[in-house]
Amino acid sequence: MLKITDLEKIYRTEDIETVALNKLSLEVKKGEFVAIMGPSGCGKSTLLNIIGMLDDAEKGSFMFNGEEIIHFNERRRADLRKRNIGFVFQSFNLIDELTVYENVELPLLYLGVDAAERKQKVEAVLEKVQIMHRRNHFPQQLSGGQQQRCAVARAVVNTPKLILADEPTGNLDSTNGNEVMQLLTELNEAGTTVIMVTHSEHDARFAHRIIRLLDGKVVMENILG
Amino acid sequence: MLQNYFKIALRTLLRNKAFSAINIVGLSVGMAVAMLIGLWIFDEISFDKYHQKYDRLAQVMQNQTWNGVTGSQTAMPLPLAPELRAKYSGDFKNVVLSSWNFEHILAVGDRKFTKTGNFVEPKFPEMFSFKMLKGSQKGLKDPYSILISESVATALFGDTDPINKIIKVDNKTNVKVTGVYEDLPHNTTLSEVTYVLPWEMYLATESWVKNSQDQWNNNSFQTFAELNPNADFDKVSAKIRLVKFNHDKQDAAKPMVFLHPMSKWHLYSEFKDGKIAGGRIQFVWLFGIIGVFVLLLACINFMNLSTARSEKRAKEVGVRKAIGSVRSQLITQFLSESLLIVVFAFVLTLVLVTLTLPWFNELSDKKMSILWTNPYFWILSISFSLITGLVSGSYPAFYLSSFDPIRVLKGTFRVGRFAAVPRKVLVVIQFTVSVTLIIGTIIVYRQIQHAKNRPIGYSRDGLIAININTPELVGHYDALRSDLLKTGAVYEMSQSSSPTTAVYSNQIGFNWEGKDPNLQALFGVIAVSHDYAKSVGWQFVEGRDFSRSFSTDTSAMILNEAASKFIGMKNPVGKNINWNDKNYRIVGVIKNMVMESPYEPIKPTIFFINYGWANIINVKLNPAMSASASLEKVGEVFRRYNPGSPFDYKFADEQYALKFSGEERIGKLATFFACLAIFISCLGIFGLASFTAEQRTKEIGVRKVLGASIFNLWQLLSKDFVMLVMISFLIATPIAYYFMNGWLKNYEYRSEISWWIFAASGFGALIITLLTVSYQAVKAASANPVKSLRTE
Ligand SMILES: Nc1ncnc2c1ncn2[C@@H]1O[C@H](COP(=O)(O)OP(=O)(O)OP(=O)(O)O)[C@@H](O)[C@H]1O
Ligand SMILES: [Mg+2]
Repeated sequence: MLKITDLEKIYRTEDIETVALNKLSLEVKKGEFVAIMGPSGCGKSTLLNIIGMLDDAEKGSFMFNGEEIIHFNERRRADLRKRNIGFVFQSFNLIDELTVYENVELPLLYLGVDAAERKQKVEAVLEKVQIMHRRNHFPQQLSGGQQQRCAVARAVVNTPKLILADEPTGNLDSTNGNEVMQLLTELNEAGTTVIMVTHSEHDARFAHRIIRLLDGKVVMENILG
Repeated sequence: MLQNYFKIALRTLLRNKAFSAINIVGLSVGMAVAMLIGLWIFDEISFDKYHQKYDRLAQVMQNQTWNGVTGSQTAMPLPLAPELRAKYSGDFKNVVLSSWNFEHILAVGDRKFTKTGNFVEPKFPEMFSFKMLKGSQKGLKDPYSILISESVATALFGDTDPINKIIKVDNKTNVKVTGVYEDLPHNTTLSEVTYVLPWEMYLATESWVKNSQDQWNNNSFQTFAELNPNADFDKVSAKIRLVKFNHDKQDAAKPMVFLHPMSKWHLYSEFKDGKIAGGRIQFVWLFGIIGVFVLLLACINFMNLSTARSEKRAKEVGVRKAIGSVRSQLITQFLSESLLIVVFAFVLTLVLVTLTLPWFNELSDKKMSILWTNPYFWILSISFSLITGLVSGSYPAFYLSSFDPIRVLKGTFRVGRFAAVPRKVLVVIQFTVSVTLIIGTIIVYRQIQHAKNRPIGYSRDGLIAININTPELVGHYDALRSDLLKTGAVYEMSQSSSPTTAVYSNQIGFNWEGKDPNLQALFGVIAVSHDYAKSVGWQFVEGRDFSRSFSTDTSAMILNEAASKFIGMKNPVGKNINWNDKNYRIVGVIKNMVMESPYEPIKPTIFFINYGWANIINVKLNPAMSASASLEKVGEVFRRYNPGSPFDYKFADEQYALKFSGEERIGKLATFFACLAIFISCLGIFGLASFTAEQRTKEIGVRKVLGASIFNLWQLLSKDFVMLVMISFLIATPIAYYFMNGWLKNYEYRSEISWWIFAASGFGALIITLLTVSYQAVKAASANPVKSLRTE
């Protein structure tokens, strides 16, 4: 599904240069569930953002579905992104002014899906994450776990081929965390590729493979049974 | 403590530079406009106050009724003044006669100037408290003396002492300078009186004036009065009401004499049905309201921006409250901030006003200056600024300080959807004012254009008018004409009793077959020479022009269409009109000439041949030659006939254009105010949009990640503002319609208010809003979402 070779990302501020990714190479196959781990500041989020086409790299190659996209401009990347990728963030990032239903509906609106199909898809996915009864509530009226389930619903509503999750359980207690991991596993079993950043060994065990980073490099890979 | 407040306030301002700049600039533009308008109003209401006896001076006026319509006029008969002096000495300290403010030629050796001045009775300079720089106010006792203003003295004599020097007036009379007075300031009604000549001289040199001394029906003079200290204008007016009528009880116009106090000359100069019906006071009110509005807009911005920003400061308030700050301290803190902004704004205001005043003076035809030395100016403008600061700072102060600290600190504090409502209301008010002003401006310009496009009934291209004010030009009509034509620079020449841009004389005493005996017919009357039609390009509707081939044409008349309609005959040509017991035959009817106001209906006017009654020479220049070349040649001829006078001429089209200057001034001022209102409103939404964008950074980032395009986000951010402008437009439309419809009613000849004016104004406001908001919207929408999301 995606193949990254010798990727470099350097952040430059006024006085210092931070090498966030240092000739990093990585391949993820279709249908895989990959966990990325490593100490704070080792470049996990940076990698995920580049994979999610929110950010671009300095050097290296990034093949997505057999296509080199490293030189794509903003518009083409945005287009590719909204068709193929769903995001789940640690801090949920729901829009406070919109209800649960409206939040989940948003990606479909931007894809130009018609109203009837939207309704059907949103309801199906809300059903799946079990917050259908809260559809007309605003995010602040929900618990953290419910908010993250809503965020997951939003990430998958347009049936993306790839889900990127950056510490999806970081703000949740273990019960709520497990529910979210359960959801991600189900989605993966249904054929979606999942890449997840996590600090938790427990959560990482839900994945097929764990990639460990240090100072912007892959230092170890564990294949899980 | 107070110092501490201001120190923190200053730091806050410096930290938010863009915000502070928008606030200070917005507020100072508003205050600058208010100050300019304030100066303008001050100038208007202090009009004529230069005269020390301001409270006791009045012009004697009369109401006359023609055809059931009562008109008020300042033209009075000559014997009235002596009668008031003799019979009402208990009420009047002084009553003086004055001529109109006419142009005369003043010559000293080779220096010749055409200047405006009056013939007055000797007490005049004293009454109007002329400030004498040389000589005495009593200088007009000698019948061949003159008092001149400082500027005339400089023009004629340069640096030399003018006292006892001789000036030749109109090339015929020598007078001796007996005094020099300080120029009457521009904001006095008499500012055009640049010299005064003795009344005795008027009597001695003009036989018609001498003959008027016992004529109660010859209204050709002005009369000014000074009341005794404890006399009352209304009571004296009531007493003298019938003085004129008592001399001729048959007078059908029923003249009623009254006093028009000096305090009302400038601002209340319009009369309707014999009573004061306003005048420039309406503009004083109008501009006053506009000034208050513009200031209000600026204040609104201030409140708006402060409250918008307040949400970012909610945390600060929470912390301050948690560590024990009481509400009143918070209020003081926020008020200090707004006062500090006002102080900066006030300084900037003074700079702005200093810079724009020369331009504003030109626009408003005034000579105003900042009243640096006037303590009232400072007291007024400083207290005004303080009030502005308090008013515009109080809303944010009270609003901010009411935040609940616990909710703020726990992070559950959210400024709900309704917190934005007052802010939106304020934006709507701003745009309502702006849109109203835009509509008003368009309508004013349309009305001017409409009147300018009015068919004038004659041709004014290359037509010049020359005043006949010296005896040299009288009595040489044929010779002058043939000499002028010989130059080849002149297409035709004629003479008339009025220029094409005015009607000097209105007369009664007309009779015709079938006339309603109760009808008091008043006609504009113009004496012309045979060549008038050709020189002004008359357009005949019926009949023919005057002709030298018919000797009977000396008692022929030509009517304009309005007169023809007024007498109501089917076929007027060939019929007779009797005027003062002499019969005139109507030989033709011409298209109406617009000679007076282009906004009023055309007055019934009669033209007849009379070579003895001529004030103006009309010269139509040869269109095949350049104007400057023809004027050169025409000037030569005139200098030959009239060597003592400068060759002064006026182009008819320029004179005609002057009729629009008042309205054009209103138009320019309205444009100015409209632009300012728009500018201030834009600053307002610009600031507000930047805050909205900032507040919604996270939302924008999330939406982008979810696939929103820049266009989607631009739409999202602009939508609210567009809605607000639409609402403003809906409110502004009826308001503007109401006011502008009222304004147009002042004009008989007026344009229609059509729908496109409103559509264009609304559309314009919308475009301006979108442009303003888009900058912020696009900027926010193109930011990299990764950044906004990591701030969480
Ligand atoms: N915008 C930026 N400007 C400068 N340096 C940055 C920027 N973003 C990230 N970095 C640096 O790049 C490195 C990698 O950051 P990244 O956010 O990818 O870490 P991470 O592995 O996700 O850490 P964590 O587990 O704490 O989330 C860090 O050293 C960080 O300081
Ligand atoms: Mg991270």
